[in-house]
Order: sequence, then structure tokens, then C-alpha cells
Amino acid sequence: MEKISRPVVVKRMPERMNLKQARKFWKEVQPFLDSDRPQVVFDMSQVRHLDAAGIDILLQCMREAIKRDGDLKLAALSPQSAVVLELTRTGRLFEIYENSTAAVKSFSSFLPNALRQLEPEASQGVVPMFPAQPVSSDDGTGASLAA
Amino acid sequence: MDIRAILLVGGVAGDDGKPAESIGGVPLAYMDVLGLPVIERVLRRLHRFGICATTLISDAPAATSPFTQRAEIDPHAAQVEAPGEEFWDRADEVFQQYASEGADLVIAMRLGPYIEVDYDEMIQHHLDKRCTVSMAVDSQNISLELFVISPAGRFDARELFQSHLQRLRRECEPFAVKGYVNRLSGAADLRRLGLDGLMARNDVRPEAIEVKPGVFLGRGARIHRKARVVAPAFIGARGKVHAEALITRGSVLEHHAEVDCGTVVENSTLLPFTRLGAGLDVMHSVVGFHRLAHLIRNTEVEITDAKLVDMVPLSPVSRLAGSTAALFAFIPKQIYRGVRALSHRESSVEDPECAEAGGAALKAPVLEAPASGAESSEFPSNLAVVRRYGED
Repeated sequence: MEKISRPVVVKRMPERMNLKQARKFWKEVQPFLDSDRPQVVFDMSQVRHLDAAGIDILLQCMREAIKRDGDLKLAALSPQSAVVLELTRTGRLFEIYENSTAAVKSFSSFLPNALRQLEPEASQGVVPMFPAQPVSSDDGTGASLAA
Repeated sequence: MDIRAILLVGGVAGDDGKPAESIGGVPLAYMDVLGLPVIERVLRRLHRFGICATTLISDAPAATSPFTQRAEIDPHAAQVEAPGEEFWDRADEVFQQYASEGADLVIAMRLGPYIEVDYDEMIQHHLDKRCTVSMAVDSQNISLELFVISPAGRFDARELFQSHLQRLRRECEPFAVKGYVNRLSGAADLRRLGLDGLMARNDVRPEAIEVKPGVFLGRGARIHRKARVVAPAFIGARGKVHAEALITRGSVLEHHAEVDCGTVVENSTLLPFTRLGAGLDVMHSVVGFHRLAHLIRNTEVEITDAKLVDMVPLSPVSRLAGSTAALFAFIPKQIYRGVRALSHRESSVEDPECAEAGGAALKAPVLEAPASGAESSEFPSNLAVVRRYGED
């Protein structure tokens, strides 16, 4: 397997992801997604309000990333964003990690223990999609570049 | 030391008289898990501990062979078919033969449970405790149907086999297994074994290449560029994932499994040669042999509609013939579509391969202002966009 040395972009999503914010957010992340094989992580720890436009922008970003042979991963889901992703069944389209650091590392090696969507109960056949407790991000920056 | 092993596949009957620990009549021990049959994994583990002389006794009918990879199971292991009551008699016969040939110890295990045991430790325990028959137990002191038998204990062995591994002639301190244990009693356990392997909770490593972190691809597996595979996932040898399909949450597609356009496979296992139809949403299930076992509802249903769940032809010739026929059917359709497109220029199909499949997911999302006036449908446009990714 290829060892990745390309940068991973970690972008913190705003508290509200409505249509207006989503458009603004899209303009911010578009340059990263336009690069070759973009590797992007969205930190969703601050998200308190996520509507259809927010979901739409997530999917659009994912599509753009895949189109260029990259990927988009989610990290540090707030309970609110977790509920909306579960409700719209969009969560299953993404790899979701406990925090941004784990998500960044996951681009170079698989980290089963950091994955949030498969809880220990999964082994019994029952899969809670997201953690019941709020998860926190250890990444203090808004948008940063990590090697 | 000359240590030999007897592996017993079957030997228990279900409530309705059908064999237990099987799906569609195929024993779970013969099923592929992440690209390799369970029994082969057990044999390889025995080899790692230097136990190479093995006899495999099975009560599964020969008719199940095409669905399994029996041919790929270690050729050095002698294979004996012994249906019904003959099963336990044959086990005893093989033990007596090993004893007379001068084996120092014989390991007898039923599959049955998948156990990652340190055989060296267990043999040492057997020798230290001076047992004739040592039994392996789990953390709750329940038998794992794994025994180490000294050749001197011929009567103990006979008693053990005649009681279907339920009774010991002489009690001895059991050996507590510290490693990974999976009872492998049904579809849920089979799913758990595969998932635990993907999540690196056991020694069941995928027999495939890791093409990106957590995504394993077997030899000759094909994933359409418009399909999405979310890690961890396993696509077995010659597996096929068509356009707009989504494989996610630790899903496992065993060899020759096929997922048609727009189908979502979430936290599920597709058994070998299983073909899932287009536009389906399969979650928390084990699918194969025209059956679907739903792990949360704890039900198993038979599905005879080939549009939903079908079997890929077992022989390569049949598969080739099927592909050729599909190609010849596809070309006239494309010509017809081309002619039709000339007369209806406004209508366009982005992916003709999936046009008739009715796939649901992964259409191009578009961020747009809500439509107004005559253009608006009965749903707000944003809601409609989200709905494309969701369910009904």
C-alpha cells in the first residue's frame, strides 16, 4: 500500500450549517478540493445546527474529493450533527473518527479503534451508528494543514 | 513430539432436524470469512504450532461442495465424509488409528467454535496436570469442544466421542482459553467473525490486498468508479460492485459476490456467489444461498425472487456465457437509446448501465436555491436532494 505524504486538510465546520453558511463554507473549502487527490477532514465538533443544505454541502465535498481520487472524512461529531447524519442516512457514506488527529492518521493507515461508527456492540450484530455521548476534538485549530 | 489432530465438522442437529451451524445447508466451518474458509484458517493455525497430520471428518453432504472451497482446503489433511451416526464412530476410529501409529498426543476439536488457542500452552497444561483428556473452556467455564487426548486413554476417547464430546470419563482441570473465541453457531456469529477480522480483533486477516487503509480487495475484484466503498470493507476475489453502489460499515463481500447498481450494503456479509439486485438497501444482514438472515430482527427469510437475491453461476463457463449474453443484450439497448436520444434531446441518462436499475444513492448533489413558481415540485428542492441519499 502506498504510504501517503500528501497534506491532509482539517477544516472545522461552523456552528450553523444552513444555506447561507453552507455556501460560504463551500467557497472556503473548494480550493482544497480542487487540488489533486485531496485529503480532507471536516471537524464537526462545533456544529449545532445542520440542515439539508449542510448535508448537501457535505455530499458535494465528498463527490468532489472522490472525483479527484481523494477522500473526505468526518471527525468529532457533535451530538446534533450525529443525529442529522443518522436521520438522513448520510453518515454511512463517510468514515467517521473520534477526533481530527485520528482522521488525519487514517489516511496513511487503518485505525479500527478510532472509528466511531462501529461500536463494540457491532460484534453482536447491533450497530449504533454514532456515540451516545458527545465527542470532543483535540484539535484546537479552525483550519490547518497537517503533514 | 508427534501431535496429530482430528477436526470434526458437524455432529450436531438443529431443532428442526436440519444440520445446525449452517446456512443453506452449508456448514459454517466451510464458509469463507474474509477470503478463506474457517476450516482452512484452523488448519493453518495448527500448522503454525507444528501440528500437520490432521484428519477432517465432516457430516456435510457432498452436494454442498460447490458452494465451499473444499478443494482449496489443505490437501495434506485427510478428508472423511461420515454422515449421521457414523460421524462419531469414525472419529473414534481415527483416534484409535493415530494411537496405534504411535502419536504422542491427539487434539480433537469440533467446528463448532472458532478458537484462537495457544496449542503449546494447552499441551503443556495437559502434560503438567497429567490428564488423560484435557478440555478447553471459555471464561465462563463452558466447554469449547476442544480436547487434548493422550493415546493411552483409548477408553476415555471412546467415551468422549460416544457422548458427542459432552462427557469425560475422568475429570481433569480444564484449560481456560485466553484467546479469541467465536461460537460460530449461526449467521450472526459468522458476521461477527468477519467484522472482528476487519477490525483487527482476532487473527482472521483478510486474504486480499489493502488498496487503501481499511479497504481490502481480493484477486480480480472489480469496483465501478462510481461506487463508494467506505472502510473497513472487504471485497473478495472476483467480487463485483456496480455503479452507484455503496459498501459501508464493515461490510464483507466474499468471493464472486456481486452488488448491482445503487444498492447499499451496510454492516452486512454477502456469502460467496451471492448476487444482490439493484436499488436495494441491505443492512445488518448475512445474505447468501437465496436467504437473508437479519441480525437485528433475528429472522431468516428465503428469497426466491432473482431480482432481489440471486446466485452467480458456480462454473466459470456459465459465468462467461452470462456475461456474453448480457453484452449482446446491452448493445441493442444502447443503439435504441441513441436513436431515442436524438428524438428526445432534453432527456439525458448519465449512467446508462444503471439507468434501468433504479439505483438510489450517490447522484451528483447540487447546492442550489430553492426552486420557485412553476419549477418547484411538491417538495422543497433541498429536501428532495437529501432524500436521494436516504431511504424511502
